[in-house]
Amino acid sequence: MGRVIGIDLGTTNSCVAVIENGQPTVIPNAGGYKTTPSMFAISQDGKRLVGHLAKRQAVTNARHTVYASKRLIGRRFDAPEVTKVIELAPYEVVRGPNDDPRIQLGDKVFTCPEISAIILREMKRIAEEHLGEPVRDAVVTVPAYFNDTQRQCTKDAGKIAGLEVLRIINEPTAAALAYGFGKKRDEKIAVYDLGGGTFDISILELGSGVIEVLATNGNTFLGGEDFDRRLVSHLLERFQEQEGIDLRSDAMALQRLKDAAEKAKCDLSQRETAEINLPFIASDAKGPRHLNLELTREVLEGLVDDIVRQTLKIVESCLADAGLTPSQIDQVVLVGGQTRMPLVQNAVAELFGKRPHKGVNPDEVVAIGAAIQGEALLAEDKSLLLLDVTPLSLGIATFGGHFTRLIERNTTVPVRKGHIFTTTRDNQSAVKIRVLQGESDLAADNDLLGEFVLSGIRPARKGEPEIEVSFDIDANGIVSVSARDLATGKEQSIQVNATSTLSDEEIQRIIDENELYEVQLKP
Amino acid sequence: MHLGRSAQEGQVPALAPGLDPARLPLSPAEGFLLSRIDGRTPWKLLREIGGLAPSEVDRCLERWLEEGVVVVASAKSAKSAAAGSPPAGPSKPASPAAPSKAAPAAAPPRPAAVAIDESLLDRSLDLAVEAQRRILAFEQRLAEPYHQLLGLSADADTKAVKRAYFELSKEFHPDRYFRRNTGPFGARLERIFKRILEAYELLSDPTARAEIERAAEERAAVEAAAAPPAAPSVPAPAASQEPTEAPSTAAAKAASVEATKRLRQLPHLRAAHLKQLAERRAKAKRFFESGMAAFKAERWLEAAGSVRLAIAFDPTNEAIREAFGDVQRKAHDERAKQLLREANAALDLRDARNALRLFEEALLFKPHDPGANATAARLAFLIGDDLKKAKEYAQQACELEPNVPSNRRTLGQIYAAAGLAANARRELEAALRLDPKDLEAKEALRGLGRR
Repeated sequence: MGRVIGIDLGTTNSCVAVIENGQPTVIPNAGGYKTTPSMFAISQDGKRLVGHLAKRQAVTNARHTVYASKRLIGRRFDAPEVTKVIELAPYEVVRGPNDDPRIQLGDKVFTCPEISAIILREMKRIAEEHLGEPVRDAVVTVPAYFNDTQRQCTKDAGKIAGLEVLRIINEPTAAALAYGFGKKRDEKIAVYDLGGGTFDISILELGSGVIEVLATNGNTFLGGEDFDRRLVSHLLERFQEQEGIDLRSDAMALQRLKDAAEKAKCDLSQRETAEINLPFIASDAKGPRHLNLELTREVLEGLVDDIVRQTLKIVESCLADAGLTPSQIDQVVLVGGQTRMPLVQNAVAELFGKRPHKGVNPDEVVAIGAAIQGEALLAEDKSLLLLDVTPLSLGIATFGGHFTRLIERNTTVPVRKGHIFTTTRDNQSAVKIRVLQGESDLAADNDLLGEFVLSGIRPARKGEPEIEVSFDIDANGIVSVSARDLATGKEQSIQVNATSTLSDEEIQRIIDENELYEVQLKP
Repeated sequence: MHLGRSAQEGQVPALAPGLDPARLPLSPAEGFLLSRIDGRTPWKLLREIGGLAPSEVDRCLERWLEEGVVVVASAKSAKSAAAGSPPAGPSKPASPAAPSKAAPAAAPPRPAAVAIDESLLDRSLDLAVEAQRRILAFEQRLAEPYHQLLGLSADADTKAVKRAYFELSKEFHPDRYFRRNTGPFGARLERIFKRILEAYELLSDPTARAEIERAAEERAAVEAAAAPPAAPSVPAPAASQEPTEAPSTAAAKAASVEATKRLRQLPHLRAAHLKQLAERRAKAKRFFESGMAAFKAERWLEAAGSVRLAIAFDPTNEAIREAFGDVQRKAHDERAKQLLREANAALDLRDARNALRLFEEALLFKPHDPGANATAARLAFLIGDDLKKAKEYAQQACELEPNVPSNRRTLGQIYAAAGLAANARRELEAALRLDPKDLEAKEALRGLGRR
């Protein structure tokens, strides 16, 4: 059997790791970089470019370069997150036949799992080149807030990329695994993950080789890119003040500004000042204009301070979910490039009353954790066990459009939970069980996973019949739901299959197409 | 039915030992009735306070007797306990619904060796035979109380609970055998892990844990009350099918072993529904609140209905029970008033049988209403097919209002019709003393003289 790799499929960057001689190792790509931009482009002459190659030409080929497609995967076209991407992204997002967002590059339309598959295939290739052998098995990470559809789409992406995805695990959980690898002490740790596009906080407990997730929380639209956006707005305003030119409608200029802002932001984590130099950013009747500004760390911190405060609020609520106070946390692990920022580190240190752990590289820790979990699943000797949790609450729709949770999010799996429900009308003979997933108290705001009807209920006054609804989640996260009338013993059940935005046929078609494409490349 | 009825009236039903009411398929109304059964309240009284129509109460109690939910004597309790535990079968694990099929007989803190079914071992699986043995053995223990399942003493702290949970997880989490051919052992691991998880979750939650302990104590108390041979107040019921031999000490012992067995399973049977319990409590609170609102608005029947539901959902809540007394009294008054109105309307229509039925029903809610007793007596006497019943009502009326001549006269007439001349004479003379002009009494007395 080949080796199992761990892939951190990030919004902005991806990373792949493997366990070599018992030690987790991050595999560098051909350029020597340990992370690869999650970018894909089709160049003017029709070539497919992935990673650094795609990033390098992103400015000049903005319309045909895809980035941050992870924000779209598994969502519906009308979702607010998708609308936001459509607003911001220079590439074209179109409505797919399953109401899913798809990306049009020239005359070819790509599904989101397909884009993710291209990145995954690149990571697989990087690993294979390094290991000198084919790789099939992988553990892939996703943000903790990803719902079933998003997870299933990520799995589909793995399939399209020719990978067998053993498990999808949460990014913060993976980080904790990386931190906990080889540790013997019992500890409670907090994983503060401020990535490019998202913020996640997880509280975990470690003890004798077992890792238990106590609570997770996060915000899907809060990340390093928000820092960039603040900085870009700031730069746009300063430029308009100085030159009287508004660059907001100039896509090329915006992309350059964005790149420069990101670089300045990173520089300011090391130094107190950074220079932004963008010659020929615009031109008018008076000739070409250049943007030349000096930025201080203080200014940047002033621009983003409220974003950092927002993350702390989420941390506090997560701690409350876990029933812990900040001082009860033994170790804080930082994940995500944005945590390099001194302001973030200081804010976190202040909240927890201790400096964050320094031993792990925030860009690599998630992939390492994924590799560790892959190894733990397949290894003969089990020295490490992850007690993973359900990411989102599961329940049913109840009278008045409410959502009643049977399995709270963060519940360890496999698990079984039951609850007794009743009728709402006199002599009601059937109940419809609508299985939902989500965190809203309103049924309509959550995702419908499936529904079925339990009939033959003995005529009785409303409120009298007792119907036991049970949820079962197995170790692979497959949910089955049953309803039983306690008076008659009558039972109905369904297995809830995670739905993808792609049908099996579509996945197969894409795989076939990609094989064709592979063949084309070789000669 | 009537014969059976009088036989039942004196019986004192008790809950079968080891019963977990939460698992019974009951309607809230039935649940309420069940909650009234405390091993002290006689059948007759249950008809009145059970919250259901008396015939419904009879029906429920009879059914529960048959199902072994309720017992009326300890000898029977032993029998029903034995009938309740199905024959040993090794394959399926105990679900919370069914009593364990393989619970160890005695009560060692930790069974040293559990006999496993060797035929279930499968050497072709990608799973060491020793591991298979451990899985089978552990699976048999799933019905044990939580702390015992985790190998802990009852007072183990949360840290110890967590450590035990982690250790057992390492052995039984399905991921340990990821991608291996484990055959039917895969499902066993899932069942084991789910139960370990449940034990860990509940024992780590102080409220849940207190509830588990309280439930165990409560059960023990119920056991103690219900287990000893026949309570002195219980007359041997003629109609029940008791075994001919008297409950010997040996039988009592057997019963207590059964009871202990069941008792040991109770904490988790109950705890498995703790979350439900919390929900039920919330429901109870809602019903109670709407009940009290209805009470304030003087909609007594609605109030009683809601409070009854509240008790059905939360039978242990003292505050609700206390309030229920008042509410129920009012509701009963109201219901009786309503029935009396209907009864009088039936009287106006000269529908004696229907009127009698309605008066009788009203008397269930207001047994001490003298007028209703008198009228019922009169009607029963006039209809004439149940003089005994007529006599009871008439006696009741006389007891309540001895100085109303018509009460005495009716009773006298009933005695006369029953051939009890001396009694008849006494009552009719009393009636005439109270009202010398009572022609009907005079007439009856004369008739008595003639006979």
